[in-house]
Amino acid sequence: MSIFIKLGWYFKQEWKIYLIGLFGLLLTALVGIVPPRIIGVLVDTIHNGKLSGQSLLVLLGVLTLAAFAQYGARYMWRTAIWGEAAKLEKVLRNRLFKHYTEMDLEFFQKYRTGDLMAHATNDLSAIQRVAGGGILQFADSMITGGTTLIAMITLIDWRLTLIAIIPFPLLAVMARYLGTKIHIAFRDSQAAFSRLNNKAEESITGIKVIKGLGQQQEDMDDFNNQVATTININRRVNRLDSLFDPMTTMIIALSYVVTIVYGGYLVTNGSITIGSLVSFVSYLAMMVWPMFAVGMLFNTLERGNASYDRVMDLLKQKSAIIDDADGVDKAPKGEIDYHIQKFSYPDDQRAALQNINFKVPAGHTVGLVGKVGSGKSTILRLILRQFDNYQGSIQFGGIDIKHYKLDALIPAIGYVPQDTFLFSDTIRENIRFARPESSQAQVEEAAQKSDLYEQIQAMPDGYDTAVGEEGISLSGGQRQRLAIARALLINPELLILDDALSAVDAETETQILANLHAERQNKTTIISAHRLSSVMNADEILVIDDGQIVERGTHAELMARGGWYREMFERQELETKVKGGAN
Amino acid sequence: MDNSKHQSAWSKSIPFGEQMRIIGRLFHYAAPYKWYFYFSVGFSIAVAVVNIYLPRIIQVYMDSHLVVGRTDFQMMWFFAGLYFFGMVMKAIMQFVQSYLYEMGAEYMLENTRRKLFAKLHTLGMRYFDQTPSGSILSRLTNDTMAFANFWALFNSLVVTISAMVSSFIAMYMVDLKISLWLLVFMPFLFVMVWYYQRYSTRVYRRMRERLSLLNAKLAEGITGISVIQQFRQEKRINEEFNGTNDQYYNTRKAMIRINSLLLNPMINLFYALGTVLVLGMFGVRGLHAYVAAGVIYAFITYLNNFYNPMSEMMDRLSDFQDGVVAGSRVFRIMDDQTVEPQQHPVKGATITRGKIEFRHVTFSYDNVNPVLHDVSFVAEPGQTVALVGETGSGKTSIINVMMRFYEFGEGQILLDDRDI
Ligand SMILES: Nc1ncnc2c1ncn2[C@@H]1O[C@H](COP(=O)(O)OP(=O)(O)OP(=O)(O)O)[C@@H](O)[C@H]1O
Ligand SMILES: [Mg+2]
Repeated sequence: MSIFIKLGWYFKQEWKIYLIGLFGLLLTALVGIVPPRIIGVLVDTIHNGKLSGQSLLVLLGVLTLAAFAQYGARYMWRTAIWGEAAKLEKVLRNRLFKHYTEMDLEFFQKYRTGDLMAHATNDLSAIQRVAGGGILQFADSMITGGTTLIAMITLIDWRLTLIAIIPFPLLAVMARYLGTKIHIAFRDSQAAFSRLNNKAEESITGIKVIKGLGQQQEDMDDFNNQVATTININRRVNRLDSLFDPMTTMIIALSYVVTIVYGGYLVTNGSITIGSLVSFVSYLAMMVWPMFAVGMLFNTLERGNASYDRVMDLLKQKSAIIDDADGVDKAPKGEIDYHIQKFSYPDDQRAALQNINFKVPAGHTVGLVGKVGSGKSTILRLILRQFDNYQGSIQFGGIDIKHYKLDALIPAIGYVPQDTFLFSDTIRENIRFARPESSQAQVEEAAQKSDLYEQIQAMPDGYDTAVGEEGISLSGGQRQRLAIARALLINPELLILDDALSAVDAETETQILANLHAERQNKTTIISAHRLSSVMNADEILVIDDGQIVERGTHAELMARGGWYREMFERQELETKVKGGAN
Repeated sequence: MDNSKHQSAWSKSIPFGEQMRIIGRLFHYAAPYKWYFYFSVGFSIAVAVVNIYLPRIIQVYMDSHLVVGRTDFQMMWFFAGLYFFGMVMKAIMQFVQSYLYEMGAEYMLENTRRKLFAKLHTLGMRYFDQTPSGSILSRLTNDTMAFANFWALFNSLVVTISAMVSSFIAMYMVDLKISLWLLVFMPFLFVMVWYYQRYSTRVYRRMRERLSLLNAKLAEGITGISVIQQFRQEKRINEEFNGTNDQYYNTRKAMIRINSLLLNPMINLFYALGTVLVLGMFGVRGLHAYVAAGVIYAFITYLNNFYNPMSEMMDRLSDFQDGVVAGSRVFRIMDDQTVEPQQHPVKGATITRGKIEFRHVTFSYDNVNPVLHDVSFVAEPGQTVALVGETGSGKTSIINVMMRFYEFGEGQILLDDRDI
């Protein structure tokens, strides 16, 4: 029941419509008493030979009226209660999504995408079931169950009523018990389905490897085994599911046995009329659903409660990144001054960065190089305020980045992440993601700068070509360049390229770098890369190893120094030479 | 958004003849499990027959025993026992009916998946390059599921029809004239079902489309979170999401309204009006003659049985279109002719030395623009041959052809001097 209290804010907010719904239910229940009784009365008057044309007309008139009144009342509660449930789901979904977009990276590392999806779908649907089915089950068991019971006791016979409904609580028990079992079985079944799904996905995406290694038969056997497991798990679901109706039939049968014997006895000794017995049987049928509802209510509330707690847990989490409300509002400009004594990732003891100090004067370019996992991306992420819990400070234009409003700081930075993410949308929308109001000319300009212009021109749909999940598959290099165009569109004060040229060929790389150099006078750029040619022309190059700067200087200085940089450069040089020679 | 294309594929209506052909083929897939379905249908009919007898028992009990006062406890227990026995039989048959059908449908579903999966393995690489993997996966899992739901609709139809037919027969046996009068409602009922099916299918489809769009946005909002935040687009993305959420909510409300107008409440109204007619006719007769209580009871109960399974069946009608659409997509894969290069009938040759020779190989992916022109080279055993060139010059294609992911057009590839 506690979930009803937890959802109290919603019921309070929507009380009017809920009141209409409950009124509709009450009306449905009250009017529902009429037809069985009328049938009984008619049976009796015919039986006694006292039926007159007039009374027949009255009875039929009332019955017709009741029919339409019930139709109206049913429409009323259905639209009200189901509508409210849908609305609750909508409200919560908006809130949850908003919360997601406000959370920091830590949050997204803690919860996997699939879980976050599940909370926003399955959990919300369990909660909305409380606001719909739950309310209905609660009200139905009380209102419909109550009125019918009272009708049976007052209009027919209280002894017969009490005896005949003895088996009925079993319906509630069964609904609860079978409901729980089915829920568990169904969860297993869904898990089996998603395993099957994963297996199939693996095979389809890896089809080339499978064919290349001639593993078709093994793969099919594997799939078939998975299918067999699924069938076994679903057998249980089907068995439980098929039990519902028969069990109901059995429980009702018990009730009928009592009614036939005891009701028959009461008729023969004259305590009730034959018409009353006919009415009684109808009322009995009307008690089935409310009893069911009691049992189902427990399940609905239980699941809704668990889901609600999970969703609230998520909503309670706060982002570690605090947007300074009184922060500086103007767009940052000028020098980057980076001083980090120490930074560790949350839940990780190791220092990811140590003593990283460097400056990027306005208009300069700094290059970051180093081994895989050395900390290049980490350095960049701190500038983007993805993590705030470091010792030290980062200044942009002489002001600590934490003292800017996020709305001022972030739009000044153009970021091209290491792994490109594109939205399922057109190329145009992806390029102007940061500024949807941009004109076609601006989009084309950005495409030009990232050396993508001709390739887009060559596509049949041009800028309207859809990319992402549903669209065409772009090559890795094309995707990267699209991401670069996206960052360049806003003409950012600071441009951050995190290994963003890794998938383009040397020629294109040179072209893009030249474009950047020409375009971005007085604007700062930080490039992280594995290929040293990307950073060769930078004003300063930092070699990072294990979270620390191990070498620094210009290309010429570092070459003269003869450390890791030079060794790496010569190795890469050789590679290009060999490639060039073979061509 | 790219959804417009998506949508049109969904809402595209399939001509009636084509629909029938697809349904015919669906039946074909059920054939191996036909006994499950035959027995299940048999039990549906049996349950319907028991449903005729149960009210009969009470009718006889009332009219021949209670009313005339010719009863003792023994007789009462006899009727109670008879009724109980009938109910037990009904319960058992209900279970068997439902279980057999669901298992039959389950086997059919999984078997279709197996067949489809096996078929996928016979398709050439060309197919996989041209079809997004997400859509292939969706054929294999979701679409097969959709036509399993379609199959459940048949079960519902069978149950509904046997209930209607049996109840009607029962009413006919109790009172011929009144039962015929009840047919007056039939045209209205048909119009209502027809209208509901037409209208609700459309709304339902729109609702589903919007839901999948909503979920796609949700997923993208999560996976693309860093891009959204890095470009400070939280607000816009939220607004977009809320817009989609609103649209979904609106269709959902429309769906609720239609269901409230035409589903349960409407069926109940039909039943109630039927009762008015039945009681009216019995009543008129009762003005100057005797009408037994049990007869009225039985007739009203039959009327109830007649309408009872209808709303569930109608609720499932929207699975019909989905099933046909899904079926047509699955069959498109089953019928796909992009076959994989064939295994040579005489196999047994094993590669012993590893000499590779390309003789004037020409190949194209799309049969229009050749990617490889007249390529010839020899790689002797033990030799390493390097393929270099610009992106898109055809390095990967040479490997593709040699691995026989694709069948090439002209020329010969020789492995150990044997044509592959
Ligand atoms: N979110 C995280 N939580 C905890 N540890 C992390 C996280 N991201 C990175 N690390 C760790 O921090 C270290 C530096 O990682 P980082 O991604 O900065 O390396 P990188 O230099 O960018 O590597 P690459 O060249 O592969 O891009 C690695 O040891 C990595 O395991
Ligand atoms: Mg990195």
